[in-house]
Amino acid sequence: MKIIVTIKQVPNVTKVKWDADGSLIRAGLPTIINPVDKHAIEAALELKEKHGGEVIVISMGPGQVESALREALCMGADQAIQLTDRKFAGADTWATSYALGCAIKKIGDYDLVISGVEAMDGNTAQVGPQMAEFLGLPLLSYALGIESDGKKVQIQQKLGDFERKIEADFPALVTVEKEINEYRVTPMDKILEAFEKEIPVWEADDVDAELVHLGLKGSPTKLRKVFSPKIEKGKVQMLEGTPEEIARQVADKLNEKFLI
Amino acid sequence: MDFTLSPINKMVIKAGKDFCERIVPEIDAYMAEHGDYPPDLLEKYAKARMLGFDVPKEYGGLATTNFNLILLIEEFGKTGSTCFLPLLMNNSVAETICHWGSEEVKKKFVPPLCDGSAWATMAFTEPDTGSDPKMLTTTATPDGDDFIINGCKRFISMANKPGYGVFICKDLSLAGQPHDSTAFIIDKKSPGISCSGHYELTGLDGADTCDIYFNNVRVPKENILGKQGQGFNVLLRWISGERIQQAAGMVGVGHQAYLEAKKYSMQRIVNGMPMGYMQGFYWMLGEMKVKIDACRLMVYNAVCKQDAGKNFDTASAEVKVFTTPLIQEVTRMAVQFHGSYGYSKEYLVEKLFRIAMHQGVVASSLEINKTIVGMTALMSK
Ligand SMILES: Cc1cc2nc3c(=O)[nH]c(=O)nc-3n(C[C@H](O)[C@H](O)[C@@H](O)COP(=O)(O)OP(=O)(O)OC[C@H]3O[C@@H](n4cnc5c(N)ncnc54)[C@H](O)[C@@H]3O)c2cc1C
Ligand SMILES: Cc1cc2nc3c(=O)[nH]c(=O)nc-3n(C[C@H](O)[C@H](O)[C@H](O)COP(=O)(O)OP(=O)(O)OC[C@H]3O[C@@H](n4cnc5c(N)ncnc54)[C@H](O)[C@@H]3O)c2cc1C
Repeated sequence: MKIIVTIKQVPNVTKVKWDADGSLIRAGLPTIINPVDKHAIEAALELKEKHGGEVIVISMGPGQVESALREALCMGADQAIQLTDRKFAGADTWATSYALGCAIKKIGDYDLVISGVEAMDGNTAQVGPQMAEFLGLPLLSYALGIESDGKKVQIQQKLGDFERKIEADFPALVTVEKEINEYRVTPMDKILEAFEKEIPVWEADDVDAELVHLGLKGSPTKLRKVFSPKIEKGKVQMLEGTPEEIARQVADKLNEKFLI
Repeated sequence: MDFTLSPINKMVIKAGKDFCERIVPEIDAYMAEHGDYPPDLLEKYAKARMLGFDVPKEYGGLATTNFNLILLIEEFGKTGSTCFLPLLMNNSVAETICHWGSEEVKKKFVPPLCDGSAWATMAFTEPDTGSDPKMLTTTATPDGDDFIINGCKRFISMANKPGYGVFICKDLSLAGQPHDSTAFIIDKKSPGISCSGHYELTGLDGADTCDIYFNNVRVPKENILGKQGQGFNVLLRWISGERIQQAAGMVGVGHQAYLEAKKYSMQRIVNGMPMGYMQGFYWMLGEMKVKIDACRLMVYNAVCKQDAGKNFDTASAEVKVFTTPLIQEVTRMAVQFHGSYGYSKEYLVEKLFRIAMHQGVVASSLEINKTIVGMTALMSK
């Protein structure tokens, strides 16, 4: 079974800063593998342990995504491929899905693509579905469980208040929820092996991507402005008068704000 | 010496932290409730491939450095949990068997220690001594192709768990010779073996330390580790590594004690400001940090000698002599920082203080190590 897992490197912070163009300032921020993507890797490793095969991890981003890929190798992935090229920079979800999709095509001959449901920073949950669309794959999203007989894949899908089982023939794309599994503690033997592996860096040309669809230029989403919503300081108004008058004023105020 | 951590070293630490955050709490909860290690503890270590660091791959090991092992152990130390003792024991006994054992012995006994199916033990201490091989009274009497073991070993870690132990015995076939101790690998579930209940210890909560009794226990000659008469050498070489690993764990304990004190000193308001701003306290914090940093460097220095294949007996003894009192002092200071709360089980520092106390009396006493360091100094040119 050949499984491709897409992982995103995200900043490990609760507050982020933007530059004048509205791009995230990533320099100097500690980074981690997008948390749910670790569960995606785990799901792939478990399937591989059952059915044999290989797990290939890919990530698009600046040079530092190498460390995320290295960590995925430490968890036990067989191979990692890094997509780094200035031309990919500034991609929205569409351009990201396109670039990743081109890379997945290039790898070829796969049975499953697994991604996280959503990234911790962008939170759009669009990349998985868009890759499925681009690659013409059946999409099995929001997986809480995943099973396979080596030819088909079946998932337990989370749909708000209820769940259902759906299945598709290979090749297919699955997006996973964090509840799908407990990911393993990085095993020591894999750590030692991981640092002996080469991580090839693929640029736009290597994946036969068309320039017009890449990066900021290829992104249909145009960013107007990024801002942190202002948190207004609480204003206090002291009401005066007899208890009855004050009660009347409170009722009027609430009425004004359509609260009663 | 350059102690810059490599990307591999850093990943080992990261994995260790992850194990300590996600898995140790449930292990520790089990130990608090049952006063013993969880039966599947070694499975957990084996799954994370934490057994057999300095053991060749052909016997199920990782063929990596002791440096990586001590980095991992320091992370366990920070939790204050005792659960790393079996991790140390399986690692160090597997390495010891690889060093002294014949090919058959290695093939038979090392893989189960690395895959977690056997609990390791190393036993020297007896009711009458924990330091002097001349005083041993557990005897091995030759009988055809076997030896018959009789006697008692005291304070033995994991003695009552299934698996293999290296037991240092008085070899009666060597009676009258200057070196008469021999190391035997013994299946702890052999007929004739029984154990006491656990000792109630000051610290090391949940440890299974007990006495183990031998009543005509038959052990085949092939189970002799090293040569007859080399028993004490087997012990000394093992304990040199074990002391470093123990110290690495205690550096973690001290480091955590320092962090707990630092945290508390910013929370607790005394005289209208966080107590950490009082000079008396931030001086203490500074002292704690320096002490722990120095201890860590001592440990790194010794383990690098070990990994380089140099003689590290004295370096390891120096580690015990230097780090034991400092780490104990740091944990005591951390208790002091917390006032009365530090003396209650509500706060981790109390546990850290108690666990730090074991370093001076387990895996050779502090004084024995002063003797080793002092005698080496005296004899050196
Ligand atoms: C705060 C913020 C808001 C944003 N808002 C928008 C927006 O409204 N519209 C828009 O088009 N873009 C937006 N972006 C940009 C967008 O996040 C990224 O450009 C895009 O690369 C990934 O989208 P996502 O982070 O939402 O991923 P999601 O679609 O949430 O990620 C789902 C999964 O896709 C995979 N994946 C995502 N990115 C990568 C990658 N680089 N490499 C490998 N696998 C990956 C992972 O498996 C991940 O778990 C925003 C970015 C930020 C930081
Ligand atoms: C929790 C725990 C786990 C243990 N696990 C094991 C185990 O797995 N295997 C094992 O074999 N043992 C184990 N021990 C035993 C421990 O290693 C010994 O108790 C320790 O070596 C000290 O031995 P002793 O108490 O018999 O002291 P003794 O040897 O009786 O010494 C008494 C005192 O004299 C001092 N002393 C002795 N000789 C000298 C000397 N030459 N120079 C200067 N001072 C000297 C000692 O420092 C000590 O203070 C464990 C003990 C504990 C508490």
